[in-house]
Amino acid sequence: MRLRFDDSVEATRQEFREWLAANRPSVEEMAADPAVSTGHAPDWARRWTRAMFDAGWLVPGWPPELGGRGAGPIETFVVLEELAAAHVPRTTNVQGLGIVAPSIVDYGTPEQVRDHALPILRGELTACLGMSEPDAGSDLASLSTRAVLEGDEDTGEWVIDGQKVWTSGANYADFCFLFCRTEPDEPKHRGISILLVPMDAPGITVRPLPEIVHPDEPDLNEVFLDGVRVPAASLVGRRGDGWAMANGSLAHERGMVWVSAVMGLEEALGSLVAGAPAHLAAMGPHERALAVDQIVQIAIDTQAARCLGQRGFAKLARGGSAPEQALMKLYASDCRQRVARIAADVQGADSLELGSVPNDGHQAVDEPRGTWMEQWFHSFANTISAGTSEIQRNIVAERVLGLPRG
Amino acid sequence: MDLEFTDDQLELRDAARQVLAGACPPSLVRSLYEGTGSPEELWKVIRELDWPALGLPEEHGGLGLGFVEVGILVEELGRVAAPSPLLATVTQFAAAVRGSGSSFALGDVASGRRTGTLALADDGRWDPTRPPVRAESEGSGYRLTGRVTHVLDGDTADEVAVVVGTDRGPGVVAVPGSEVVASRQTTVDPTVPLATLEFDGVAVPTERVLLAPGAPGAADAIARIVDEATVAIVLSTVATCRAIFEATVEYAKVRHQFGRPIGSFQAVKHRLADCFLAVERAGALGWFAALTVAEDDPRRPVAVAMAKAAAADCAQLLSRDGLQLHGGIGFTWEYDLHFLLKRAVTGDLLFGGGAFHRSRVAAMLGLADDGEAQ
Repeated sequence: MRLRFDDSVEATRQEFREWLAANRPSVEEMAADPAVSTGHAPDWARRWTRAMFDAGWLVPGWPPELGGRGAGPIETFVVLEELAAAHVPRTTNVQGLGIVAPSIVDYGTPEQVRDHALPILRGELTACLGMSEPDAGSDLASLSTRAVLEGDEDTGEWVIDGQKVWTSGANYADFCFLFCRTEPDEPKHRGISILLVPMDAPGITVRPLPEIVHPDEPDLNEVFLDGVRVPAASLVGRRGDGWAMANGSLAHERGMVWVSAVMGLEEALGSLVAGAPAHLAAMGPHERALAVDQIVQIAIDTQAARCLGQRGFAKLARGGSAPEQALMKLYASDCRQRVARIAADVQGADSLELGSVPNDGHQAVDEPRGTWMEQWFHSFANTISAGTSEIQRNIVAERVLGLPRG
Repeated sequence: MDLEFTDDQLELRDAARQVLAGACPPSLVRSLYEGTGSPEELWKVIRELDWPALGLPEEHGGLGLGFVEVGILVEELGRVAAPSPLLATVTQFAAAVRGSGSSFALGDVASGRRTGTLALADDGRWDPTRPPVRAESEGSGYRLTGRVTHVLDGDTADEVAVVVGTDRGPGVVAVPGSEVVASRQTTVDPTVPLATLEFDGVAVPTERVLLAPGAPGAADAIARIVDEATVAIVLSTVATCRAIFEATVEYAKVRHQFGRPIGSFQAVKHRLADCFLAVERAGALGWFAALTVAEDDPRRPVAVAMAKAAAADCAQLLSRDGLQLHGGIGFTWEYDLHFLLKRAVTGDLLFGGGAFHRSRVAAMLGLADDGEAQ
């Protein structure tokens, strides 16, 4: 237990920091053409992903041919930390880099790695993740989008019918990592498979779902699949293993996913604390004391989120289990929501104004952005998606604390 | 930042836990509550294990380990609500001696021959910038007047480190327990004995001046001493809360109503998930703060205040939900849970509660009005 990492880790940090300064996309080019969907990669983002890939910084833990350098988890952590500190997104295609590519690398064929994973890693393709359905949200395993194999497993075709919803980035993505039911007679968790589906395949209709904030830049979509045909070789892994792979692939970044969440939180807190004195000065003493206490409480939570993340991370890095990790999504998303609301309160009625903070492209599209009140509305994306906070509490209670299922 | 224990530290924790399971069973704690027992036997075990020496430098008979190792022992003692002079002796008295740049009585502390404590609270407020005891120069020493409350082990400690105020600024002196008029306060938790100390012209010879009033950096040194004592209370309190939490989770698994364990109800699950978060949150902040003490890092003052505020949140939630979820059985004297509940609420308030420490954070973030508590 100590405050500083080894010198070798700090040397890696320094090396990356220098490379980042020399190779990062400029503030101006990001602001001129910000990503508007998590499936959208503007030209600067494609060049940036490629540069990270070529230099072995994109996924530091992977070998060079996959855009890495065989680094350890602590070096990877440091890279993420430096990216956040420099206000440069690691990618605009969050699901593609974070979930789809690693899953294909883990479970896909060499051809799938060549044709789908590597193009994501080189900034050539973007991917979306087709999971939720109108009747399968928190209860994802009950999804009903159906894929039927016509012909044999080598030369046949999957025929897909169904509907996805809340599919981030589907309006721009090149292909979808699609969860569908292929074994209708198996128990629900064992009947799901994953298919790679080009988004321009005949029979696919994408309807963006404008959100309650930034409605002109929708990220979420409905995806209708009507007799969509893909080759049999589009199957990732084994038939019926989709649910197990989903748990594996979602776990992929769970050890690290807190880093960007916590650093986004720290950035928001920093703005709140920097901007607060001007508003506090206009308040009476009692109002000021109440407002200050709110700010202090979220400041404590922000530091706690970082400490909790690092404590869990230190355990994982040593190969142990880290119950803290199960709390991070729940906690960080709740904090991110509260910091925005507290800041809006401190700012007062001016926080009701829309659009006064332009998208400068420095955050991933699924991170809260804009004015404080816009951020607050946006922050519900994080307390609802990928398992609502209520589901997260169930998961903690059942899987970590061992309480019986109800 | 590496916030996980090393293998050696985990081994120390496991060994301490095993020792205390035998040497400090709930029946010992109960005997204190019922006025039939004493902590003497446990203290003997602790001395034989050299725990008082653990974090002291080798030149004073210590084992030369650091504050993290001391914190591990403090956690284990808090976990079982152990009555022991170790906390005040090591994390208050010895911290005050060493933080003053002195080595007064450290050899006796290391060997377990002398116990000690720290006197600072003014009517239940621990503000290092406003100590309630005044020191007037007399010859080469001082004469003390004033009244300090809530001194841990204040009526039994052999040595009392007293934070004193003078016209030249604050200092720290050591007074033999025998020269102080101490009256034991009747508080909820007899495992954390608190006393009020009256200083009615107590003379302090020069060799008992640990940190001369007006010495350069005295105020900073005192702040550091109080921070170290505060972090120890945090670690102890959060460990107690974790014990409440574990007991409550276990109870929720075995207590059946409506034909199923109450832990299968979502209303109970969600409360326990939130309790888990509160314990982990305060624990992570507590260990970060402990590291800033161990490594003398400049983030220490903010880290300690944040940790104590979080420990207060944690103690309030766990004492409430621990009792509530146990239902009627937890409300009875015969069931052991209340030892932990009382230890938790005591730790919440000792060395300042949540509002006090949040006001310190506010000042350090530059958000407080001038003149508010630091």
